[in-house]
Amino acid sequence: MNATDITFAQLLAGYSLLLFPMGFFLWYGVSLIHETLVSILRMTVQLLFVGFYLQLVFQWNNPWINFIWIAVMVAVADASIVRNCGLRIRLFVFPLAAALFAGVLIPLLIFLLVIIRPDPVLDARYVIPIAGMILGNCLRADIVGIKGFYEGIARREKIYLAALSAGATLQEACLSFMREALEAALRPTIATMATIGIVSLPGMMTGVILGGANPMTAIKYQIAIMLAIFSGTAITVVLAIFLTMRRCFTPYGILDKDVFQKK
Amino acid sequence: MNPALTINNLSVEAQDTLLLDIFSLNIPSGEKVTIAGQSGSGKSTLLRCIMGFMLPSSGTIEIFGERLDADTVWRLRGKMAYVAQEPELGEGIVRDALQHPFTYKINRGTAYSESKAVELFERFQLNASFLEKDICSLSGGEKQRIALVIALSLERPLLLLDEAASALDSTSKKAVREYLCQCDALTILSVSHDIRDFSLSESIVTLPSAGKGVVT
Repeated sequence: MNATDITFAQLLAGYSLLLFPMGFFLWYGVSLIHETLVSILRMTVQLLFVGFYLQLVFQWNNPWINFIWIAVMVAVADASIVRNCGLRIRLFVFPLAAALFAGVLIPLLIFLLVIIRPDPVLDARYVIPIAGMILGNCLRADIVGIKGFYEGIARREKIYLAALSAGATLQEACLSFMREALEAALRPTIATMATIGIVSLPGMMTGVILGGANPMTAIKYQIAIMLAIFSGTAITVVLAIFLTMRRCFTPYGILDKDVFQKK
Repeated sequence: MNPALTINNLSVEAQDTLLLDIFSLNIPSGEKVTIAGQSGSGKSTLLRCIMGFMLPSSGTIEIFGERLDADTVWRLRGKMAYVAQEPELGEGIVRDALQHPFTYKINRGTAYSESKAVELFERFQLNASFLEKDICSLSGGEKQRIALVIALSLERPLLLLDEAASALDSTSKKAVREYLCQCDALTILSVSHDIRDFSLSESIVTLPSAGKGVVT
């Protein structure tokens, strides 16, 4: 059984839901009407394009095309993380891309080869949505972790320099900041895992149920994807910091102030 | 025998401002030297350069005969101990702050001795109960003395003090001065804006506000 399709006329009717927030904005004079309309237009156009492309990608079902699709997602996520962290693009863009690839591909391959084992194993129907979910959920955590690490050292420079003056290596001096960055990045996912299913029905589970699977199958998918997201986030944050450290510190171990974008 | 510290024609600039102008200094091993100068004369800049926290625009620094550069700085930091004016001891209790530097690879050859730390505490007018105190509850003067105990526990041959007794009362200051002066093998470079306040020897270098060193 497949999910019931929505006709374009029905979808258009769905936009009537906007009457409530727009009405509230007008009534209370909230200046978000223009921004909301632009965002909704963007969302609609972007998703229609993605839907169109995904139809083709699923038809072709070619591992190389799937990989190119993942590469595009990684490139967009990469640019978004660097911009949101307020960090210099030239220093971060390539190491972060490598970290994102590792953070997506390692959990994705374990998900496909060990957990689901579809036939063919690199079926676009599995590869694209699972990679997208891992990447999309890592994004926010990666911003928190990477930004937290570099800003933490800049803000508490005295603690960092005290460690260097006591003879710490770069890794030793960065250890407590790495610990804090990982904690800040992963804590929300840990909290989500603790309440998932009770407070809300998660996206993947809902999707699998709407796709016609029984709730138990949906739950197994959801557990597996949460583990993949958690693992992907940890891999990305640690690798991104590790791969950028060499470029972001002077040979004397001092954080290069050019790491941050000029405001 | 190589001098403990040799500074040759050191100049430091940052954001088009001259912080230190052609400064030279030679400190034989075991000597105690005080650098005096007004705020902004480049005293702290000099110590930061010696620790490798700032790069000079010209000139060289040698520590026990070895030139400080990007390759040697990591090893040479193991020969120096630095006490900042407002030391940062991290979080937790004082014992954690004392023990933590001994987890670094470079310090593994030196064993942490609590009895030695307590002995130094007592010399500096602190008692052993401070080991259990929360770092957040310490006053500026207590932090300075604990930072000094940490620096001395590491048994480094060169000690750099940046206004390290500025928050101490006169009794503690005297106790610290007396202890440091009797450490014959220890080379000390201390900077202070007021030498009447804290000076370890007759060897005083005055930095004029332009940052050009004059040995007196």
